[in-house]
Amino acid sequence: MAKLELHDIRKTFGEVDVLKGISLTVEDGEFAAFVGPSGCGKSTLLRLICGLDEITSGQMAIDGEIVNDVPASRRGLAMVFQSYALYPHMTVADNMGYALRLAGTPKPEIRQRVENAARILRIDPYLDRKPRQLSGGQRQRVAIGRAIVREPRIFLFDEPLSNLDAALRVDMRIEIARMKERLGTTMVYVTHDQIEAMTLADKIVVMNAGRVEQVGSPLELYNRPANRFVAGFIGSPRMNFLAVSGVTPEGQMVVPGGRIGLARRIPGTAAEAGVRPEHLRLDRPGTEGSLSGRVVMTEHLGSDTYAYVQLDGSEQPILVRLSGERLVRREEPVGVVVDPETVHIFGSDANTLLSAQSTAREAA
Amino acid sequence: MALTEVNRPLELPVSPLANRRGLRAGQRRTGILLLLPAIAVFAVVILYPFLKALGLSLFRYTIEMTAPEFIGLGNFRTIATSGEVWNAFLVTAIYVLFTTVGTLVLGLGWALILNQPFRGRAVLRSFSLLPWVLPSTVSAFIWGWIFNARFGVLNAILLELGLIDYPQAWLSTPQGAMLAVVLTKIWLSIPLFMAFFLAGLQNLDREQVDAARIDGAGNWAVLRDHVLPHLRPVLIVVVVIGVIGNLQQFDTIFALTGGGPVRATTVLSIEVYKQAFEQWDIGFASAIGVLWVATLIAPAFFYLRMLVKGA
Ligand SMILES: Nc1ncnc2c1ncn2[C@@H]1O[C@H](COP(=O)(O)OP(=O)(O)OP(=O)(O)O)[C@@H](O)[C@H]1O
Ligand SMILES: [Mg+2]
Repeated sequence: MAKLELHDIRKTFGEVDVLKGISLTVEDGEFAAFVGPSGCGKSTLLRLICGLDEITSGQMAIDGEIVNDVPASRRGLAMVFQSYALYPHMTVADNMGYALRLAGTPKPEIRQRVENAARILRIDPYLDRKPRQLSGGQRQRVAIGRAIVREPRIFLFDEPLSNLDAALRVDMRIEIARMKERLGTTMVYVTHDQIEAMTLADKIVVMNAGRVEQVGSPLELYNRPANRFVAGFIGSPRMNFLAVSGVTPEGQMVVPGGRIGLARRIPGTAAEAGVRPEHLRLDRPGTEGSLSGRVVMTEHLGSDTYAYVQLDGSEQPILVRLSGERLVRREEPVGVVVDPETVHIFGSDANTLLSAQSTAREAA
Repeated sequence: MALTEVNRPLELPVSPLANRRGLRAGQRRTGILLLLPAIAVFAVVILYPFLKALGLSLFRYTIEMTAPEFIGLGNFRTIATSGEVWNAFLVTAIYVLFTTVGTLVLGLGWALILNQPFRGRAVLRSFSLLPWVLPSTVSAFIWGWIFNARFGVLNAILLELGLIDYPQAWLSTPQGAMLAVVLTKIWLSIPLFMAFFLAGLQNLDREQVDAARIDGAGNWAVLRDHVLPHLRPVLIVVVVIGVIGNLQQFDTIFALTGGGPVRATTVLSIEVYKQAFEQWDIGFASAIGVLWVATLIAPAFFYLRMLVKGA
């Protein structure tokens, strides 16, 4: 159990600045998920935390001690790799007990701890197998088991579920959630998958191009994204953005297909309005206060239906989430109803000028 | 569709593209066909001379004789009681042991060094192949010069360091001569061994080593628990190739010491040469050659079996 503090961490590979000053704190027992687009430096940051690569500048502390120069082997952390990185020539039991063996733990104790972890992860029938004789999901469990057995100060996960199929992913997600409850250890979890981040994390760190864009609880990020990047990144399917071409004397924003009322006065000039697909409604064309357009495509997912609506005067269709039974025809002219309370407004610098009101209130 | 219908075999014509005797049959026939030229060449240049030598080993055939005289196992009986031939076997064993172990340790060490990232690594890797491209007599010449009693680099360095008081005639002492031929062979073989090891090291999963480090492994533990087990298949191949090559070694030893002083570096290859082309006792030389090949067969068998299994 440990608290992790990063202060202005930078990392350069030769000429390339990969991390450009990361500062953040992960509290003792907290589950922090790092999300961000591919190549933004998540894995790099994780490798710095566990000590595999050297920090170019900045400070890192675990439990109030600067660990910049502590080698990986003495940091007492455990990491689960995306590729699992199991030891191919060792049995599952030896894989899981390796760290304890190196630490000189007595054999009977190693065996007991390995067996306990294996039972929890339901891999006890495979303890004598080699990793290549296991399925992907089983390997994944072994990798997690190897981390649990050590009782590390901090768990690090680098996209641990990304090689699994959808069903197994859900299973393992629940498994990890249980593990978090039971162990209460500090966890740092890198993922591409929004749902993993939203469901597992106490705190989400949104990274982009080597910087932290925003840190907050899942609902904070969903309801009050600090800027257009976070707004577009958190939430699935992603937020619709409408270009604001001006504001009428009555205080309405002019967007493709019509106008959107302003819920409140905003401190600056609106450049874009953002509305999530789940906050839009379809109605008859010409409905009071709606944006006019036509349906260009629909996707039926069973529980939901997504309608792609091309607003008049815009190329890019916007997405509207409807209930599953709702039938819409292609090319059907529609009115998209926007509740001003659910609109996020971004300035020309892409920072948020106004967050949606109603969803924020619901969350509060 | 009814269940019974599903279980009935398909009554459909077989595709005209199918191989009549199963999927692999065509491949097997082609394989044998492709092997024929190689088998023919093997028969002419290896099998025939070998059988000829095998035959000759049963004859007495020296320079004064016009035709070989059949003596059965006579040559082998002579060998059994000949201290000189036994000595050649012993010298060969020592030579093979030291060269193989030496090359293994140094080749692996060098490969580990060249696998680390550092400036100038590519250049150093290229230079490391130098002993491989030099003709072996040239190498022998270089080492002969290094060990030279009067102008040799070795003496110069040892004198400078104060480790010896006066120049040593390395090649005229049994141990010195053995040391020289062993070092020469090690130096010659390092590039090949290193290339094998380096190739093996390069496909060692980096994350596996990373995971081990996080698990608390230091350098020694990484080498023992991950690098060496990963290199095991390479290690076996390299040992077998090394043993075979060292058992056959001739040119550098012949050029460097000629088998001397006295018989200190007379390995089997030199012994056979001497019997055949100095004593002109072809029958006796053939008999030694046959025994020599017999010692080669064991490692060669392992090697071939590994190749076949690996394929
Ligand atoms: N050893 C290296 N040398 C040079 N550049 C590197 C090195 N390692 C990573 N990078 C660069 O650093 C950036 C961040 O890489 P990183 O692997 O941390 O991304 P990531 O956020 O984990 O992406 P993904 O989600 O695809 O795994 C990338 O642009 C990558 O090209
Ligand atoms: Mg990554």
